[in-house]
Amino acid sequence: MSQLVQVEIAGNSSPAPNIYVLELFAPTLAEIAQPGQFLHIRCAQGIDPLLRRPISIHAVNRETGLVRIMFQVVGRGTEMLARRQDGLLDVLGPLGRGFTWGQDRQSRTNPIPAPVDGSTTNQGNIILVGGGIGAAPLFFLLQELAATQAAPRVKVLLGARSADQLLTVELAAALGFKVQIATDDGSAGFHGLVTDLLAEELRQKTEYVYACGPTPMLKAVCTLLSQAKVPGEVSLEERMACGVGACLSCVCRVREPGGEENHQRACVDGPVFSAAEVVW
Amino acid sequence: MNTTVNLGGIIMKNPVTTASGTFGFGFEYQPYVNLQRLGAITVKGTTPAPRAGNSTPRIAETPAGMLNAIGLQNPGVDRVAQEIMPRLAELGVPVIVNIAGDTVEDYALVARKLDGVVGVAGLEINISCPNVKKGGIQFGSDPRSAAEVTRAVKAAAGLPVIVKLSPNVADMAAMAEAVAEAGADALSMINTLVGMVIDVDRRKPLLANLTGGLSGPAIRPVAVRAVWQVYKAVKLPILGMGGIMNARDALEFILAGATAVAVGTANFVNPRTTIEIIEGIENYMRQNGFDNINQLVGLAHK
Ligand SMILES: Cc1cc2nc3c(=O)[nH]c(=O)nc-3n(C[C@H](O)[C@H](O)[C@H](O)COP(=O)(O)OP(=O)(O)OC[C@H]3O[C@@H](n4cnc5c(N)ncnc54)[C@H](O)[C@@H]3O)c2cc1C
Ligand SMILES: Cc1cc2nc3c(=O)[nH]c(=O)nc-3n(C[C@H](O)[C@H](O)[C@H](O)COP(=O)(O)O)c2cc1C
Ligand code: FES
Repeated sequence: MSQLVQVEIAGNSSPAPNIYVLELFAPTLAEIAQPGQFLHIRCAQGIDPLLRRPISIHAVNRETGLVRIMFQVVGRGTEMLARRQDGLLDVLGPLGRGFTWGQDRQSRTNPIPAPVDGSTTNQGNIILVGGGIGAAPLFFLLQELAATQAAPRVKVLLGARSADQLLTVELAAALGFKVQIATDDGSAGFHGLVTDLLAEELRQKTEYVYACGPTPMLKAVCTLLSQAKVPGEVSLEERMACGVGACLSCVCRVREPGGEENHQRACVDGPVFSAAEVVW
Repeated sequence: MNTTVNLGGIIMKNPVTTASGTFGFGFEYQPYVNLQRLGAITVKGTTPAPRAGNSTPRIAETPAGMLNAIGLQNPGVDRVAQEIMPRLAELGVPVIVNIAGDTVEDYALVARKLDGVVGVAGLEINISCPNVKKGGIQFGSDPRSAAEVTRAVKAAAGLPVIVKLSPNVADMAAMAEAVAEAGADALSMINTLVGMVIDVDRRKPLLANLTGGLSGPAIRPVAVRAVWQVYKAVKLPILGMGGIMNARDALEFILAGATAVAVGTANFVNPRTTIEIIEGIENYMRQNGFDNINQLVGLAHK
């Protein structure tokens, strides 16, 4: 169950311009966190900025109890967070429904098409698509997938504006995964969009796709998946106040299995939704 | 030490409840808060039929506050009465249901359906929601309409009725007098102040609804003033709210004349705020030699 905890900051590094990784000593969070879940973090001690900031869990080491978050500085909250080197951080989490994989999906209440259990499903490729900072939570998913039989079928597609903005490429490669990259300006890898790489990959037999990144990218991913009739999941972003399902700030339009559309809360019903259920 | 208060017939073991719309139906906060310690739980605005609410973005952070334009998304009174209340009632904590609608009949209908539902200790009439087109604030800015809604709800249900006042009016005391006359058992204040944020990069209003309701510490002095003025104008007990973050903030409202207080936006920042306030008020009473919370109510006027 999610907790309100003060965790110790064990390190702060910057893997790319304007991108920071905070390492948190948080054994209880490490124990229960699932890929795709997020932490709701209080950036200031006082009342300005007032609200917490949602940041995905980027990596977990259950042996050492260390949890990492990776974030881009875009405003006051993330700027304050980037300056933190040590001391305690006020964290609410882990929150939300993450990516479904392996046995874990059986504990879900809302059925999402069956992914990677390595036994009954179609045994095609499993593709992870990350755009910009969206690569951060996908790395935690890779950590978990690395330990499954599905690992050899996993392909990683990462995109960014330019080479210096590419994230988690070495980390994913170090886990033994095949990584393909795309940049908008052609400074590394394929010159174009990461979704162009996905379109190409979908010509091969594909079992499941996981995506996280900017909204236009996710929208394009969902269109490609529906055309190719491949199931998958996307992680959405909405402005959040409570983070626990109480305030109804963070809703997304979702199509129920019956075809009916309604509002679901990104903080508890998501942030990961089935690609087929999102209404853009 | 006696911390029990009587909010117009709703008996609370301590003066702390939650502000409608900020605490869901309570269960969302169960991992962090022992709900049974709360004086009462006030739940989300409930309408006759389910509502989907507004488009997003629904919130914007502002200096020491936030704007919201949720648009009364709720599951409708039938589900609240039949599915949610039975679970909430098990806690044994008084539940105040916030009610809303487009017409006087809507309010009366919701009240009638909640009358006699186990666990419902009182109704809070939301005639001050700034984020819906019809109803809400339209009743809250005209004393005659406000009185009419109050009378209709009183006639529809035998429950204590709290009328929630808007600060977006010229004369809050006149509104308070009108609803008191119409039979309200208590008053709550304040609902949010209408505000707006423009996204300078997109050169467009930030909220999909264009405007939203301002809450949080930024509005606290306005809320304390409202409680002070209304306490002087009418004899009804007051549920005070608006930017309460800690026990000292809560005590400001009580000293200004509030019998009880509600914690809203602060729950988002620190989910344990309600419990910390309950403990903080007890400490204050102990340290300052008060053995009954009611001695503090309105004390700043004396
Ligand atoms: C579930 C979830 C997971 C996320 N994970 C990551 C992550 O791993 N790494 C990362 O860099 N960013 C992540 N984000 C985005 C991150 O929350 C925002 O960049 C951050 O809140 C901006 O705060 P700020 O004070 O720096 O910016 P400001 O623009 O000053 O923030 C103002 C307000 O807008 C909200 N806001 C601004 N941008 C966003 C956004 N994109 N999404 C949601 N709220 C926003 C803020 O929370 C705050 O309430 C995630 C968002 C969500 C919803
Ligand atoms: C996200 C949000 C939703 C709200 N929903 C309601 C509602 O449904 N009905 C209502 O009467 N007030 C609603 N309010 C107003 C609060 O109950 C309260 O009056 C106001 O926020 C001031 O208190 P605060 O500053 O402590 O939050 C809402 C406030 C917020 C922030
Ligand atoms: S952030 Fe409050 S319901 Fe999702």
